[in-house]
Amino acid sequence: MSVLQVKNLSHSYGGNTPFINDAVNDVSFTIEAGEMIGIIGHTGSGKSTLVQHLNGILKPTKGEILIDDSNIWDKPKEIRKIRSKVGLVFQYPEYQLFEETVFKDIAFGPKNMGVSGDELKKRVLDTCRLIGVKDEYLEKSPFDLSGGEKRRVAIAGVMAMRPEIIVFDEPTAGLDPQGRQEIIKVINEYRHAFNATVIIISHSMEDMAQMADKLLVMSKGEVVMFDKTEEVFKQGDKLREIGLNVPIVTRVFDRLREKGLNVPNNVFTVENAVEALKKIKAGDRNA
Amino acid sequence: MLKDITFGQYFDSKSVIHRADPRVKIVLLVAVIVFIFLAQNYWGLLLSALFVLFSMIITKIPVKMYLKNLKAVLPILIFTAVINAFYGEGEVLFSIFGKLNVTTGGLSHAGFMASRIMLLIIISATLTYTTTPNDLTDAIESLFSPLKFLGLKTAVHTIAMMMTIALRFIPTLVEEAEKIMNAQKARGADLESGNFKEKIKALIPILIPLLFSSVRRAAELADAMECRCYNSGEGKTRMKQLRLHFRDLVITIFTLCFGAGIILLNIFL
Repeated sequence: MSVLQVKNLSHSYGGNTPFINDAVNDVSFTIEAGEMIGIIGHTGSGKSTLVQHLNGILKPTKGEILIDDSNIWDKPKEIRKIRSKVGLVFQYPEYQLFEETVFKDIAFGPKNMGVSGDELKKRVLDTCRLIGVKDEYLEKSPFDLSGGEKRRVAIAGVMAMRPEIIVFDEPTAGLDPQGRQEIIKVINEYRHAFNATVIIISHSMEDMAQMADKLLVMSKGEVVMFDKTEEVFKQGDKLREIGLNVPIVTRVFDRLREKGLNVPNNVFTVENAVEALKKIKAGDRNA
Repeated sequence: MLKDITFGQYFDSKSVIHRADPRVKIVLLVAVIVFIFLAQNYWGLLLSALFVLFSMIITKIPVKMYLKNLKAVLPILIFTAVINAFYGEGEVLFSIFGKLNVTTGGLSHAGFMASRIMLLIIISATLTYTTTPNDLTDAIESLFSPLKFLGLKTAVHTIAMMMTIALRFIPTLVEEAEKIMNAQKARGADLESGNFKEKIKALIPILIPLLFSSVRRAAELADAMECRCYNSGEGKTRMKQLRLHFRDLVITIFTLCFGAGIILLNIFL
């Protein structure tokens, strides 16, 4: 069942000025419940503009967004309800922390939705447990945490609203490898705990290969590909044309094939690579 | 909505006033303000109005822009006019509370004051409309440079630098504020509805992150400047030198003629 449908969405910035700029142009796609979608594209390809439409931060210039088959702009006054259904974690979300304590900051979102009392407390604590924020942090000031911890608290602030669809704009940007893995883990855990649909924007093809079921490729405000991750990564040349690439490990295997080695062309993650190499090794032994 | 904020209000209509030396413009603006205050009768006010009207025309800036400026100070205009209406002599037209008398003299005085404020606002706007913020700071630095002889060697440059940086970062902060607003909206923050008190409270989630990021930016900028060996000491040269031209002389003479006219009207009428 489709949970989110975008129909002929266009958005241009700078309405009546001569600086009119089509950020998103006639974009349509459908996302099924529970899917994990990756959005990739060159800087300025309209990814961020696109996702800001999904929870009604931006209003489309043309086209519509359907969530559970109803247009989110049918009742403009109730747009805030949509925001609890579709959570959006902005780039560098740690810059939006403001409360005195971690607990209060995470509670901000659910409180705005009208959750209060014990239910609010339970939500916050459950979310913290899910994403690994320790209990002793709850009474600390969010500004005293490290970069990676801040990021997690900020993400928890959106997750505590329990959105059915959660959108991340470059959630791992600026983190060290360990921090990246932790964020990926947190996203996966939320997805499984609440059967959520997840949409992630990322510049890391490695992260995408590891996480996404399907990839939406954008270029110059338009969708150029929307297919299963492996199908997209098989088209390396097309990706390179629009300034993107395939994961490094895929590139390595491509080069190996060019050199005449018989390695598979569907290797996108390090785990895939290990398996493929093991098979080859076993094959050699058999031969 | 935040994009509507245009600081400095520079409007590039490429007039001779735009090209004039910003220092001359600042000094002349001060002179014109003094002249307008010197005008003591309606004839002087009329001459001032003609001068202001003429300035408006040669700046080639749409009248609409000036009116927008006046609209912003309308409350002050009305307030001044109303207060002044009670202070005057002459025939009593009507009175409030038995003691406050509105007189013909008072009304005439009120009209005079309101017109004067209007003229002052319009003439001040010509400066900000025709001069970029950077030109303004350069001019201020240059005009205050005599202070260097009073042992305030670096202070003048430092203050000018601070103004330049502050102006430079206004668009950056506006952008930042917009991002934070969107992020808090995504967390269900309600920025539109509610009463006055609630609206003020709704600003806290925006102002605190904004304050933090401005402080962070300031620290980063200071580091970056130090890395490039910035010092506000002597021996600094400028890429854009301010030079006086013939047009500056013409504008000055014209303005001085206006001042002379005001004084003559004061003496003979």
